[in-house]
Amino acid sequence: METNWAEENLQTIRTLMERSALYRRALAPIMLFAGVVGVAAAIIGTAFHFDSPFAFTRLWPDTAIFAVVGAFLIARRQSIKDKEPFWSAPARRVVLAMFPTWLAGIIVTEVFRLVATNDSQLVWWLLPIWMVLYGLALHGASFFMPRGIRIFGWVFFLSGLALLVILAIKNSSNNLPPFVYAHYLIGAFFGGGHLAYGAYLYLTEKGKNAA
Amino acid sequence: MNPEPFQQLDRVIHEKGRLAIMSMLAAAPELSFTELRDTLTMTDGNLTTHIRALQQEGYVAVAKSFQNRRPLTTCSLTAAGRKAFAEYINLLEQIVRQTKK
Repeated sequence: METNWAEENLQTIRTLMERSALYRRALAPIMLFAGVVGVAAAIIGTAFHFDSPFAFTRLWPDTAIFAVVGAFLIARRQSIKDKEPFWSAPARRVVLAMFPTWLAGIIVTEVFRLVATNDSQLVWWLLPIWMVLYGLALHGASFFMPRGIRIFGWVFFLSGLALLVILAIKNSSNNLPPFVYAHYLIGAFFGGGHLAYGAYLYLTEKGKNAA
Repeated sequence: MNPEPFQQLDRVIHEKGRLAIMSMLAAAPELSFTELRDTLTMTDGNLTTHIRALQQEGYVAVAKSFQNRRPLTTCSLTAAGRKAFAEYINLLEQIVRQTKK
Protein backbone atom coordinates (compact mmCIF):
# COMPACT_ATOMS: atom_id res chain seq x y z
CA MET A 1 0.00 0.00 0.00
CA GLU A 2 2.69 2.41 1.14
CA THR A 3 4.93 1.38 -1.75
CA ASN A 4 2.16 2.25 -4.17
CA TRP A 5 1.84 5.86 -3.16
CA ALA A 6 5.61 6.28 -2.89
CA GLU A 7 6.08 4.82 -6.36
CA GLU A 8 3.21 6.88 -7.74
CA ASN A 9 4.72 10.02 -6.21
CA LEU A 10 8.08 9.24 -7.78
CA GLN A 11 6.42 8.62 -11.14
CA THR A 12 4.49 11.91 -10.87
CA ILE A 13 7.68 13.76 -9.99
CA ARG A 14 9.46 12.26 -12.97
CA THR A 15 6.62 13.14 -15.36
CA LEU A 16 6.45 16.71 -14.09
CA MET A 17 10.20 17.17 -14.30
CA GLU A 18 10.19 15.92 -17.90
CA ARG A 19 7.26 18.19 -18.77
CA SER A 20 9.00 21.13 -17.14
CA ALA A 21 12.00 20.72 -19.42
CA LEU A 22 9.91 20.70 -22.63
CA TYR A 23 9.55 23.64 -24.99
CA ARG A 24 5.90 24.62 -24.79
CA ARG A 25 5.32 27.41 -27.29
CA ALA A 26 2.44 26.64 -29.69
CA LEU A 27 4.08 25.26 -32.82
CA ALA A 28 1.12 25.43 -35.21
CA PRO A 29 1.49 29.15 -36.06
CA ILE A 30 5.25 28.69 -36.51
CA MET A 31 4.81 25.66 -38.78
CA LEU A 32 2.08 27.35 -40.82
CA PHE A 33 4.25 30.44 -41.24
CA ALA A 34 7.24 28.33 -42.36
CA GLY A 35 4.98 26.45 -44.76
CA VAL A 36 3.58 29.61 -46.34
CA VAL A 37 7.10 31.03 -46.70
CA GLY A 38 8.33 27.77 -48.30
CA VAL A 39 5.49 27.59 -50.80
CA ALA A 40 5.87 31.30 -51.64
CA ALA A 41 9.61 30.83 -52.24
CA ALA A 42 8.94 27.86 -54.53
CA ILE A 43 6.47 29.95 -56.54
CA ILE A 44 8.94 32.85 -56.74
CA GLY A 45 11.79 30.51 -57.69
CA THR A 46 9.76 28.92 -60.48
CA ALA A 47 8.05 32.06 -61.77
CA PHE A 48 11.17 34.22 -61.81
CA HIS A 49 13.49 31.44 -63.04
CA PHE A 50 15.91 31.31 -60.14
CA ASP A 51 17.64 28.54 -62.03
CA SER A 52 21.31 29.46 -61.81
CA PRO A 53 23.31 27.85 -59.00
CA PHE A 54 23.95 31.29 -57.51
CA ALA A 55 20.27 32.29 -57.60
CA PHE A 56 19.19 28.94 -56.16
CA THR A 57 21.74 29.01 -53.34
CA ARG A 58 20.66 32.58 -52.55
CA LEU A 59 16.90 32.12 -52.71
CA TRP A 60 16.51 29.12 -50.42
CA PRO A 61 18.98 30.02 -47.66
CA ASP A 62 17.44 33.52 -47.57
CA THR A 63 14.03 31.89 -47.34
CA ALA A 64 15.27 29.75 -44.46
CA ILE A 65 16.64 32.83 -42.66
CA PHE A 66 13.34 34.63 -43.20
CA ALA A 67 11.41 31.62 -41.83
CA VAL A 68 13.69 31.32 -38.78
CA VAL A 69 13.44 35.04 -37.97
CA GLY A 70 9.67 34.87 -38.38
CA ALA A 71 9.49 31.79 -36.15
CA PHE A 72 11.47 33.61 -33.44
CA LEU A 73 9.16 36.62 -33.66
CA ILE A 74 6.05 34.44 -33.40
CA ALA A 75 7.50 32.59 -30.40
CA ARG A 76 8.45 35.90 -28.80
CA ARG A 77 4.96 37.26 -29.32
CA GLN A 78 3.49 34.15 -27.72
CA SER A 79 5.79 34.39 -24.72
CA ILE A 80 4.94 38.06 -24.17
CA LYS A 81 1.24 37.27 -24.44
CA ASP A 82 1.56 34.37 -21.98
CA LYS A 83 3.76 36.40 -19.61
CA GLU A 84 6.53 33.85 -19.91
CA PRO A 85 10.23 34.35 -20.59
CA PHE A 86 11.10 34.03 -24.29
CA TRP A 87 14.69 32.87 -23.92
CA SER A 88 13.76 30.11 -21.47
CA ALA A 89 15.89 27.07 -20.66
CA PRO A 90 13.85 24.78 -23.00
CA ALA A 91 14.11 27.39 -25.79
CA ARG A 92 17.88 27.49 -25.33
CA ARG A 93 18.06 23.68 -25.44
CA VAL A 94 16.03 23.53 -28.66
CA VAL A 95 18.24 26.14 -30.35
CA LEU A 96 21.44 24.46 -29.16
CA ALA A 97 20.21 21.06 -30.34
CA MET A 98 19.50 22.44 -33.82
CA PHE A 99 22.58 24.64 -34.07
CA PRO A 100 25.23 22.13 -35.29
CA THR A 101 23.10 20.94 -38.20
CA TRP A 102 22.12 24.50 -39.10
CA LEU A 103 25.79 25.43 -39.11
CA ALA A 104 26.59 22.40 -41.28
CA GLY A 105 23.82 23.43 -43.67
CA ILE A 106 25.17 26.98 -43.97
CA ILE A 107 28.73 25.79 -44.63
CA VAL A 108 27.68 23.13 -47.15
CA THR A 109 25.54 25.69 -48.99
CA GLU A 110 28.42 28.17 -49.14
CA VAL A 111 30.74 25.45 -50.46
CA PHE A 112 28.22 24.53 -53.17
CA ARG A 113 27.82 28.19 -54.07
CA LEU A 114 31.58 28.40 -54.65
CA VAL A 115 32.02 25.04 -56.36
CA ALA A 116 28.88 24.87 -58.52
CA THR A 117 29.13 28.28 -60.13
CA ASN A 118 28.46 26.98 -63.66
CA ASP A 119 26.94 23.60 -63.01
CA SER A 120 23.30 23.90 -62.05
CA GLN A 121 22.91 20.12 -62.02
CA LEU A 122 25.44 19.91 -59.20
CA VAL A 123 23.15 22.02 -57.02
CA TRP A 124 20.56 19.22 -57.19
CA TRP A 125 22.64 17.45 -54.53
CA LEU A 126 22.01 20.25 -52.07
CA LEU A 127 18.37 19.27 -51.76
CA PRO A 128 18.83 15.89 -50.09
CA ILE A 129 21.62 17.34 -47.95
CA TRP A 130 19.33 20.12 -46.69
CA MET A 131 16.53 17.63 -46.06
CA VAL A 132 18.76 15.21 -44.15
CA LEU A 133 20.30 18.02 -42.08
CA TYR A 134 16.92 19.58 -41.33
CA GLY A 135 15.59 16.16 -40.33
CA LEU A 136 18.54 15.69 -37.98
CA ALA A 137 18.02 19.18 -36.54
CA LEU A 138 14.36 18.42 -35.80
CA HIS A 139 15.30 15.04 -34.37
CA GLY A 140 17.83 16.65 -32.04
CA ALA A 141 15.35 19.31 -30.94
CA SER A 142 12.59 16.75 -30.45
CA PHE A 143 14.15 15.62 -27.17
CA PHE A 144 13.03 18.96 -25.73
CA MET A 145 9.81 19.31 -27.70
CA PRO A 146 6.52 17.44 -28.11
CA ARG A 147 6.88 13.96 -29.57
CA GLY A 148 5.40 14.79 -33.00
CA ILE A 149 8.49 16.79 -33.93
CA ARG A 150 10.57 13.62 -33.91
CA ILE A 151 8.30 11.96 -36.46
CA PHE A 152 8.38 15.12 -38.57
CA GLY A 153 12.19 15.04 -38.38
CA TRP A 154 12.26 11.40 -39.45
CA VAL A 155 10.06 12.23 -42.45
CA PHE A 156 12.61 14.82 -43.62
CA PHE A 157 15.56 12.59 -42.83
CA LEU A 158 14.23 9.52 -44.67
CA SER A 159 12.86 11.54 -47.58
CA GLY A 160 16.25 13.21 -47.95
CA LEU A 161 18.01 9.85 -48.01
CA ALA A 162 15.49 8.50 -50.53
CA LEU A 163 16.02 11.54 -52.73
CA LEU A 164 19.77 11.05 -52.47
CA VAL A 165 19.43 7.49 -53.75
CA ILE A 166 17.07 8.55 -56.56
CA LEU A 167 19.47 11.30 -57.64
CA ALA A 168 22.39 8.89 -57.58
CA ILE A 169 20.49 6.45 -59.83
CA LYS A 170 19.43 9.25 -62.19
CA ASN A 171 22.92 10.69 -62.22
CA SER A 172 24.49 7.34 -63.12
CA SER A 173 22.51 7.43 -66.36
CA ASN A 174 23.19 11.15 -66.87
CA ASN A 175 19.50 11.75 -66.48
CA LEU A 176 19.09 14.31 -63.69
CA PRO A 177 15.70 16.05 -63.97
CA PRO A 178 15.43 19.66 -65.19
CA PHE A 179 16.48 22.08 -62.49
CA VAL A 180 13.02 23.65 -62.15
CA TYR A 181 11.88 20.46 -60.39
CA ALA A 182 14.22 21.31 -57.54
CA HIS A 183 11.98 24.27 -56.69
CA TYR A 184 8.90 22.04 -56.86
CA LEU A 185 10.46 19.46 -54.58
CA ILE A 186 11.78 21.86 -52.00
CA GLY A 187 8.47 23.73 -52.06
CA ALA A 188 6.58 20.48 -51.55
CA PHE A 189 8.76 19.29 -48.65
CA PHE A 190 9.66 22.49 -46.83
CA GLY A 191 6.51 24.40 -47.79
CA GLY A 192 3.89 21.68 -48.06
CA GLY A 193 5.39 19.62 -45.24
CA HIS A 194 5.29 22.48 -42.76
CA LEU A 195 1.81 23.49 -43.89
CA ALA A 196 0.51 19.96 -43.40
CA TYR A 197 2.15 19.57 -40.00
CA GLY A 198 0.99 23.05 -38.96
CA ALA A 199 -2.58 22.23 -39.96
CA TYR A 200 -2.39 18.97 -38.01
CA LEU A 201 -1.08 20.78 -34.93
CA TYR A 202 -3.66 23.51 -35.30
CA LEU A 203 -6.44 20.94 -35.16
CA THR A 204 -4.90 18.88 -32.35
CA GLU A 205 -3.47 21.63 -30.11
CA LYS A 206 -6.62 23.72 -29.80
CA GLY A 207 -6.38 26.37 -27.13
CA LYS A 208 -2.64 26.79 -27.57
CA ASN A 209 -2.76 28.52 -30.93
CA ALA A 210 -4.27 31.85 -30.12
CA ALA A 211 -1.10 33.82 -30.90
CA MET B 1 8.95 -2.23 8.33
CA ASN B 2 10.92 0.75 9.53
CA PRO B 3 8.48 3.70 9.71
CA GLU B 4 11.31 6.21 10.06
CA PRO B 5 11.62 7.37 6.42
CA PHE B 6 7.90 8.07 6.26
CA GLN B 7 8.05 10.14 9.44
CA GLN B 8 11.01 12.09 8.08
CA LEU B 9 9.18 13.15 4.92
CA ASP B 10 9.04 16.92 4.66
CA ARG B 11 5.36 17.78 5.25
CA VAL B 12 5.65 21.06 3.34
CA ILE B 13 6.78 19.29 0.16
CA HIS B 14 4.60 16.23 0.71
CA GLU B 15 1.39 18.10 -0.12
CA LYS B 16 0.32 17.20 -3.69
CA GLY B 17 0.21 20.72 -5.13
CA ARG B 18 3.49 21.83 -3.56
CA LEU B 19 5.21 18.60 -4.63
CA ALA B 20 4.14 19.29 -8.22
CA ILE B 21 5.52 22.84 -8.04
CA MET B 22 8.80 21.64 -6.54
CA SER B 23 9.11 18.89 -9.20
CA MET B 24 8.67 21.33 -12.05
CA LEU B 25 11.08 23.85 -10.58
CA ALA B 26 13.66 21.14 -9.93
CA ALA B 27 13.97 20.51 -13.67
CA ALA B 28 14.25 24.13 -14.79
CA PRO B 29 16.39 27.06 -13.65
CA GLU B 30 13.22 29.14 -13.35
CA LEU B 31 9.61 29.04 -14.48
CA SER B 32 7.08 31.78 -14.86
CA PHE B 33 3.95 31.89 -12.76
CA THR B 34 1.81 31.32 -15.86
CA GLU B 35 3.89 28.33 -17.00
CA LEU B 36 3.40 26.71 -13.61
CA ARG B 37 -0.29 27.59 -13.49
CA ASP B 38 -1.02 26.30 -17.00
CA THR B 39 1.03 23.11 -16.74
CA LEU B 40 -0.34 22.19 -13.34
CA THR B 41 -3.86 23.42 -14.16
CA MET B 42 -4.09 25.32 -10.90
CA THR B 43 -6.01 28.50 -10.23
CA ASP B 44 -4.08 31.71 -9.60
CA GLY B 45 -5.17 31.70 -5.95
CA ASN B 46 -4.26 28.09 -5.35
CA LEU B 47 -0.83 28.46 -6.93
CA THR B 48 -0.16 31.70 -5.02
CA THR B 49 -1.01 30.00 -1.72
CA HIS B 50 1.29 27.07 -2.40
CA ILE B 51 4.14 29.25 -3.61
CA ARG B 52 3.78 31.47 -0.55
CA ALA B 53 4.02 28.38 1.71
CA LEU B 54 7.15 27.23 -0.11
CA GLN B 55 8.59 30.74 0.00
CA GLN B 56 8.05 30.96 3.75
CA GLU B 57 9.91 27.70 4.16
CA GLY B 58 12.78 29.16 2.10
CA TYR B 59 12.39 26.59 -0.68
CA VAL B 60 11.28 28.86 -3.48
CA ALA B 61 12.43 32.32 -4.59
CA VAL B 62 10.03 34.61 -6.44
CA ALA B 63 11.31 37.36 -8.74
CA LYS B 64 9.19 40.05 -10.31
CA SER B 65 10.35 41.84 -13.46
CA PHE B 66 9.00 43.30 -16.67
CA GLN B 67 9.09 41.85 -20.18
CA ASN B 68 7.97 44.32 -22.84
CA ARG B 69 6.36 46.47 -20.16
CA ARG B 70 4.30 43.53 -18.93
CA PRO B 71 4.87 42.17 -15.43
CA LEU B 72 6.62 38.82 -15.34
CA THR B 73 6.73 36.72 -12.18
CA THR B 74 9.25 33.90 -12.13
CA CYS B 75 9.86 31.24 -9.52
CA SER B 76 12.94 29.17 -8.87
CA LEU B 77 14.18 26.71 -6.29
CA THR B 78 16.58 28.02 -3.68
CA ALA B 79 19.59 25.97 -2.59
CA ALA B 80 17.62 24.93 0.49
CA GLY B 81 14.68 23.96 -1.71
CA ARG B 82 16.87 21.86 -3.97
CA LYS B 83 18.40 20.11 -0.94
CA ALA B 84 14.99 19.48 0.65
CA PHE B 85 13.64 18.14 -2.63
CA ALA B 86 16.60 15.78 -3.06
CA GLU B 87 16.12 14.52 0.51
CA TYR B 88 12.42 14.01 -0.13
CA ILE B 89 13.19 11.90 -3.22
CA ASN B 90 15.76 9.87 -1.28
CA LEU B 91 13.23 9.11 1.41
CA LEU B 92 10.60 8.08 -1.15
CA GLU B 93 13.13 5.74 -2.74
CA GLN B 94 13.98 4.30 0.67
CA ILE B 95 10.29 3.64 1.34
CA VAL B 96 9.91 1.89 -2.01
CA ARG B 97 13.03 -0.22 -1.39
CA GLN B 98 12.00 -1.14 2.16
CA THR B 99 8.54 -2.33 1.24
CA LYS B 100 9.84 -4.31 -1.71
CA LYS B 101 12.22 -6.31 0.52
